[in-house]
Amino acid sequence: MEMIFAGLLDSISPASLMFLLVGVAVGVLIGAIPGINGPMAIALFIPITYYMTPLTAIGFLVGLNKGAFFGGAVSAVLLRTPGTPEAAATSWDGYPLTQQGKGEKALRMALYSSVAGDIISTFVLILIAAPLAAVALFMGPSEIFALISLALTVIAGIGTTSICRGLIAAGFGIAAGLIGTEPVTALPRMTFDVYQLGSGLSLIPVAIGLLAFSEILLQLERFTVKGDSEHSANVFSSKLEDRLVSFKEFFSKLKTLLRGSLIGIGVGAMPGLGAPVASFMSYDQAMKRSKNKNEFGKGSLEGIAASESANSSVVASSLIPLFVLGIPGNLAAAMLMGAFMIHGMQPGPLLFKENAQLMYGIYGSLVLASLFLLLIGRFGLRLFCKAVDIPAMVLYPIVIFTCIMGAYLGKSSMFDVGVMLTFGFIGYFMRKFDYSYVAFLIGFILAPEWERALQQVVIISENNTFMFFQRPVAMVLMAVTFFVIGRTFWVSINDSRRKKAEQAMSAEQAKNG
Amino acid sequence: MLAWAIPTYTPAYPGYGASPALMLNVSVYVMLFMAILSLIRISVAVYTNRPVCSEEREFPEDLEGDDGFTQVGRMNLLHLARVMIPCVLLVVAIEYIGYALASFAFLMILQYLIGSRKWLQSTILSSVLVAVLYIVMRYGFGVPVPGPQVF
Repeated sequence: MEMIFAGLLDSISPASLMFLLVGVAVGVLIGAIPGINGPMAIALFIPITYYMTPLTAIGFLVGLNKGAFFGGAVSAVLLRTPGTPEAAATSWDGYPLTQQGKGEKALRMALYSSVAGDIISTFVLILIAAPLAAVALFMGPSEIFALISLALTVIAGIGTTSICRGLIAAGFGIAAGLIGTEPVTALPRMTFDVYQLGSGLSLIPVAIGLLAFSEILLQLERFTVKGDSEHSANVFSSKLEDRLVSFKEFFSKLKTLLRGSLIGIGVGAMPGLGAPVASFMSYDQAMKRSKNKNEFGKGSLEGIAASESANSSVVASSLIPLFVLGIPGNLAAAMLMGAFMIHGMQPGPLLFKENAQLMYGIYGSLVLASLFLLLIGRFGLRLFCKAVDIPAMVLYPIVIFTCIMGAYLGKSSMFDVGVMLTFGFIGYFMRKFDYSYVAFLIGFILAPEWERALQQVVIISENNTFMFFQRPVAMVLMAVTFFVIGRTFWVSINDSRRKKAEQAMSAEQAKNG
Repeated sequence: MLAWAIPTYTPAYPGYGASPALMLNVSVYVMLFMAILSLIRISVAVYTNRPVCSEEREFPEDLEGDDGFTQVGRMNLLHLARVMIPCVLLVVAIEYIGYALASFAFLMILQYLIGSRKWLQSTILSSVLVAVLYIVMRYGFGVPVPGPQVF
């Protein structure tokens, strides 16, 4: 109990509050800019957190992520260009409302739904993470090794249409993550006699390069080569009923909000699915169960509530696998895991035992971030709407220069800038050729822990190859891993056959007139 | 990797634990196996005259030819060079001419290359950005800016 109060008190210290507020505000602003999302913002801002206390740093990054999730809805509603992928479903109803002059009303509904989903999910995280972590403490290195194998397999399917390319990306990430000092011999491995690689590749330049720099290269390409540019509709009515969401309107969507939040919590807690899946599932369920099905896609507040409550509840629930098992469920959680490691902590069940006060402080920051989001969104909505109109000529040089200086800031080393540029270049081609940079990054982050668990298993068992067969949980997890690989290949082959059959059928139909 | 890099740059097996090369070898073998699998799939598709991939792509504008594979066009590579070359030059130049000059020149060149012809706007943006980041790094975080120190 003492720990809980101490942690909560830490979370309301002036420095924590200030950085949390700044984090949420910057997150909304960044999320509102099309093409810049939460994980990208975290990658850009992690170097700054080097100079903060662990609680302030994690609070700032969590605030940034929560803010960016809502910010994504701003460009989705005003431009029909979702600032983040999970806001795509919000644009289906948000943009028609903007065209009717009710853009502000749509954004307010998105805000209230985001905050509601976020708060529900945060309380679920608080209630279940610590008890689950206590159970997870019984896991040994065999189970951890098997669990990371399973997580890498599940995650290999994210962000690509092919499991082959996903596994190649994950393998590449693991190989990159193993560069540096080998844990058993303490000798350099794969450093190519470059002394800066002795401590391995830093997460910050790799993440900035893959997430931010490569994305900017692609956006700039669309802008300069193809001449794409968006202009905000920014239609705001002066009528009060077109601007505000009444209590009646909000409470009539309560069922949808609760359903969306539960879907978001379930999806977020499972590694690999992510917020876009949650928001599409919730939207689909809301449409199927709604009395006003015909309004969906034409400006339904219910559609916005379904999408936003689901995607925002993923933010807190994706921390469940991170806090309980030390496995990041999505990219934002992977980046937060990196931030924990930078501050000398290993996410996982031991976190509750070794840093209990900090964990309760983080819980306090999570709840406060939701309240700050409500306040900032409520009073700064029109200001954030201006962010979608920042000219590309101004935005891109700022982001590129911030990427370069952000990579430098971590270790005050220009070598890291070179690493960032290299991974930006690699990331550009990975995105172009549909290799999952998410699988790469998660493989890169988990590789050292995976190897450590394997070394422990081999050393404890004195090179007994059958060690896994003596640990039933590890055996089950390994069996599930092989099942997931087999099933994914099976589904992929079936999908490909189905598509080919459909193509052949449509070609035949076209032939027959 | 398997033939040269891993054997040359990995420590020898110390006699206990798993070999330092084990995980690297596993990851590279996974990559190799998946690549061979994809290659076989493509070869079979080409041999039987079927489309190789029918998935929806993120960059359909890059498609060239009938095989359905993304090919980065000449314009795109030019664009890549337009951004990457100034960045690489900045990394080199910053060590010799210092943060302020190199960064200002980099930002001016970058804005010109991406199509900005508003000189006043470019100059103001470059100066302000260089100054703000200098202040944040030097006085906010106490980190020396890269390159020779003037102040």
